[in-house]
Order: sequence, then C-alpha cells, then structure tokens
Amino acid sequence: MALDYRKCAEEIFSHLGGKENIISAAHCATRLRLVIADNSKINTKALEEVEGVKGLFDSNGQLQLIIGTGTVNKVYDEFLAVTGLTAASKADVKAAAASRMPLWKKILKTPGDVFVPILPAIVASGLMMGIVEAIPKFIPAFGQSDWFSFLDLVANTAFALLPVLVAISAARVFGGNIFLGAVIGIMMVHPALINAWTVGSMAPEEIPTWHLFFFNVKQVGYQGHVIPVILAVLLMCTVEKWLHKHVPEMIDLFVTPLTTVLVTAFITFTIIGPVFSVFENWVLKGAQTLITIGHGIGAAIMGAIYPFTVVMGLHHMYNVIEAGMISSTGVNSWMPIASAANFAQFGACLAVALKVKNAKTKSVAFPSSLSASLGITEPAIFGINFRFMKPFVCGMVGGAAGSLFASWMHGTNMAGETVAFGATTYGVTGIPGIPAVNNVPVYLVELLIAAGIAFVLTWTLWREDEPQKKAEAPKAAPEVSAEGMPSVIRCAVGEVLQPVKGKVIPLEKIPDETFAAGILGQGVGVEPSEGVVVAPFDGTVTSVFDTKHAITLESNGMELLIHVGINTVSMQGEGFKAFVSDGDVVKAGQKLLEFDRDAIKKAGYSDTVAILMGNSDDLDGVECGLK
Amino acid sequence: MKSFSCVINDPLGIHARPAGKLAKAAKDFPASTITITKGDKSAAANQLIKLMGMGVKQNEKVTVTVDGGDEDAALAAMKAFFVENFSAECE
Repeated sequence: MALDYRKCAEEIFSHLGGKENIISAAHCATRLRLVIADNSKINTKALEEVEGVKGLFDSNGQLQLIIGTGTVNKVYDEFLAVTGLTAASKADVKAAAASRMPLWKKILKTPGDVFVPILPAIVASGLMMGIVEAIPKFIPAFGQSDWFSFLDLVANTAFALLPVLVAISAARVFGGNIFLGAVIGIMMVHPALINAWTVGSMAPEEIPTWHLFFFNVKQVGYQGHVIPVILAVLLMCTVEKWLHKHVPEMIDLFVTPLTTVLVTAFITFTIIGPVFSVFENWVLKGAQTLITIGHGIGAAIMGAIYPFTVVMGLHHMYNVIEAGMISSTGVNSWMPIASAANFAQFGACLAVALKVKNAKTKSVAFPSSLSASLGITEPAIFGINFRFMKPFVCGMVGGAAGSLFASWMHGTNMAGETVAFGATTYGVTGIPGIPAVNNVPVYLVELLIAAGIAFVLTWTLWREDEPQKKAEAPKAAPEVSAEGMPSVIRCAVGEVLQPVKGKVIPLEKIPDETFAAGILGQGVGVEPSEGVVVAPFDGTVTSVFDTKHAITLESNGMELLIHVGINTVSMQGEGFKAFVSDGDVVKAGQKLLEFDRDAIKKAGYSDTVAILMGNSDDLDGVECGLK
Repeated sequence: MKSFSCVINDPLGIHARPAGKLAKAAKDFPASTITITKGDKSAAANQLIKLMGMGVKQNEKVTVTVDGGDEDAALAAMKAFFVENFSAECE
C-alpha cells in the first residue's frame, strides 16, 4: 500500500511537542529537516515508529527524518499544510530581509542595482566618448575626419541606446524575462520614433502624434532616459509574473509574452511617457526660472541639484536652455553651472578612487572619474557616487560652490566687450569646455573650486562600508614580508616557502595515512608553533574551504593545498578564521588563515599542517623538505 | 560517454581525504577520463586541488561522467565508490 502522506505528516507532527516547538522545516532529497526549539519536548521513540519514517538522527542542530526519495517532498507538503508553517528557503529569508527595508531606501537602491551590471559598458563608452569628443575642441580638423566619425559611433553606441542596456538589466533585477526587457528597451529608442535629443529643436506641431483611444501620443523616443525605462520594465515584470501565474501552461508560451509586451508598450507610451514628459517640462521651466535668481543663489542651487537631474535622465533637455541663451545674449551662462556640477562629481569620484580599498570599486572609480572630468558623468554618478550617496552629496556641494563663483565672474566676448561669464557653444562641460568659454582663467578656477571642495569633503566624510572594510582590512593591515621564510618544496617552476612556523617533518610522518601516502600529492608537514598560515608564494587563492581549515593556492602552474590539522574538517570552521577569499591575489608572507591550536587539541585532533603540491605528478623536479 | 548523478550524504562533503581516495580509485582506469561536475563547476577526478575547490557539501548533487575505453567498468567502480565513501544516493 502506498504511504498515506497526510497521515504520516500528522503523526510526525503529533510527536514534535506542538507548533511552537518547530522553528523551521525544509527537506532535501531524502530527509525531512526540522529545526526544533526544544529537543526534550519531542518523542523520538514514537517518531521512529511512524509509518514512512525510516530513521532519524540529530545533526547540525537539525532533526532529520529519513523518509526517502520521491516521498519526502510529498510528506513535506502535507507537513506544511498540517502545521501551517511556510516553506523556508534561502531566497525567502533574503526577500524577508529586503522587505524590511524602508520604501525610500528600496527606491534609491534600484537605479544602483540596475546600473552596476552595465557599468563595464558605460565606463568604456563614457571614457571613449569624452576623449573622442574632446579632441576636435582643440584640433578642429579632426572633427571632420573619418576617424572621428567612426570613433564617435563606437563611443556613443552605449549611450545612444542606453535604454536597451538599462531595460535588460532592470528586467534581471525585477525578475522578468531579460529578452522581453530588451524588447521594451529597444522599442523605447526605436528608429521610427523621433530622437529625444533632436526633439527639442522641433516645433511642437511638427512632432508626429498617434491617436490611440483618447490618448494623443507623441512619437518621441527615450534616448538618454533612465527612470522611465526602469518604470516600464518594472511594469513589464509585474505583468509578466501575474500572467505566468494565471495563464494556463498550455498557452502560456505565446499568450504571456505577447500580452506582456503589448500591455507594457501601451501603458509606457500613453501614461509613463507623458507623465514623465510633463514632469520634465516642469523641471526645465523650473531650471530656467531658478537661474534668474540674483546674486548667484539660483546658480548655486542649480549647481547643487544638477546631478539629480542627470540621475533622472533630464539633462539632455538642457541643450534647449543653452541654445536659447546663445541666440538671445550670445553667452551660454548655463554651461558654467553644468561644468561645475559635473566636475564636482569628478572630484568626488576621484576621492573615492583614491581612498577605497576594495579593488573592484577602485577599478571602476578611476576610469569613471576620468570620464567625468571630460564631461560624461553617468559612470561616476551611477557607478560610484550615487551608490555610496555621500560622495554624490559632496559633489552637489562642490557643484554649488563652483556655480556660485562662476555667476559672479565676467568674460569678454568676440567684440571685446565685458559680458557675463559663460560659453559660446553648448553641449560641452569639464576639460573639453576650456576652448568654449569666454574667460579661461575663471573657468579653470571654477573647476578647481568645484572639484576641490567635492574631493576634500568626500575624502574626509566618506568611509567605505563596514562589511567591505572588514573584508579588505586584513589585506592592507599586516606588513607583508617573506623574509626569513625557508623554502620547503621546490620544483622546476618555483618554490613553496614555509607557510606556518614550526617544525618541518617529512610527508610520511604526518599522522594521517592519506596525507602520508602522498595520495593528495608530494609535500611536507609542519608541527606548528603558532596558529597562523601565511602565503607561501605570490599567487592566487583558488579556494578557501567553507570550514576554513584548508586553502588551495595557485602560482605559476603549482597547485598547492595547505590543510590545517587532521580531521579538522569536522570542526566545521570552529576555531578557524580566514583572511582571504576565493580569487584573491596574495603576496608571499601575507596572512591567509588563523587557527586556534588549543581548540584543535581540545577537539581531540592533531594540529599538524599538511603542505601538499596537488599536481606534483605533473611537475618536474619536485623536491620536498628543508634545504 | 556515460554518466550518473549522486546526492552526497556524507556530512562533510567531498573534502581532502575522500578526494584523495577518489583520485586513487580513478587511477585504476587509465583509459578513461572521469569528470565530476557540480553546477557550472567541474574537475577531473585526478585534479585534486580543483576537486576540493569545488567545495561539494552534504546534500549537494554531483554528476560523474566517464569517457573512454574502460568506461563501463570505471562507471561501476565510481558508483560503488560514491555509495561507499559518501553514502551517496546515485541514480
């Protein structure tokens, strides 16, 4: 007779001492795994008697009931139903943690989450674009060359079609299908739509319009936009998930994607887009009004909030303001504000680049700051400053100060008259803006003020996040020196220095037959006098065991295992501490692990450290022991 | 090429000693390449460091692939090895 899953689950439950006593329930391929609050309340004997339970034991703080493959999941489902517990998985725990985050924090976090994966693309493009577009400002002839036109195309691809990258990444963040996300992104910059960068120069009546139901939709693309794209993809993912749940599986494959794309497209163009463009117009009008406030106050405020408008993807509209200024007064006094704001973000980002210890952040921060100095701030803002928030705010202060200074200054126009300080063209900021301004010394001072203030503020106020710091600190703290470390293994491609202080013993003397027999490779043992393992050569950590009692390293073709103690895997990490993680590059003498010799002895194990060349069979001239 | 999958039931997973034993057992079948795969990571049975680096833990599933002249015998021996040494459940 087949097992009655319900009955089995009910019986198990009846012997567990009530629902309060069960902390969580999960299952693996064969066992029902329960975390129990108080083991004394459970009736182990009776549990063993339950039909369907083939055995039970207590391990790792879990009560494990052996039920069997193919059965355990059914019993588990019934068990959840009977107890009213919810299925626990790692993902749930993570989700629960995330849902405790306040809404505003979640909203602020989203652009960062979306941008981090696409950083390589925009850092490369931003830097290239800054350089390529800067050259003609100094060498005008280059601007006419084929090379310029080709390089410009390569450089601005990622930016011209940024919504595509944003959409794909957002779809991943929101858990939707990334290809549908790509479709939404591509659609928003479809070549059939009027380019958002050129629409500003068109008269409103020239812009083609669709009449859909009672909506009048302007056929304008979303080039340069970020927020509307993220919103559209968020909507898409919500629709997609809902449909997956409610559409019968048989027709899911064509109904769900079709409906998802159609609904998202419609709502994006009819609601999200127009609402956003109304908002954009307000910002534009606001900005225009703001900078008319006297004594530089308006300029200062604008310089401060400018980067926010970059985050929102609104900055592309400023060309309209700049063009208007040039045609009416001949001086573009908007440009100094934008320059101060952008250059301040450069300063803040540079401070992060110099201060940060995390290698990955550093590698993003440097090129990003460089790109920002050339006027392309997206990598710096999204990749660094906005993610850490403080540098962003410091940049805002720098931008305000630079703008304030610039607004008090004057320049000279072509006719030699004294006019307001500004630029004679538009669309450039930062270093490439130098040839465009009517008073170069003032411009340089302005940039220096903006970047300098942002740099100093960021340098003093910003600190690397605690968890990152923890992981990074040991890397910088210990003075690394391989001096005085004798060599214990030598071969044709290199040598292994003694990584643990103590008495070196031959392999055969290691009190474990597997090590002693050389099954894991040739090497030596060390009877440690100190519980510290350091790197035996310059190389890479290939793996730190979860239990932190062993580590593998690679250098120049040598694959080395350092195994602390015998049978210490059973200590499950207790008494061990790792200072590096997988993939870290280490220098000879750098601290890798710490172990508590007393704890190992107390656990009843030998603390002999085995240092083994895992691939000694493949290496030439392997020689072990002290020279 | 032949393969089978196992759920490792040894509470310690594939750590140094059994990995060494595994490499030794694999040496009995020089004509075959034996590969252990977990998720997107894989290692040949004689690549000890790589095998240990995979960090196979209890209740994790691995796939053992055997390819070569004596693959039938090697497959049977590997299956027996996993059942015996990792109290694995194989299929």
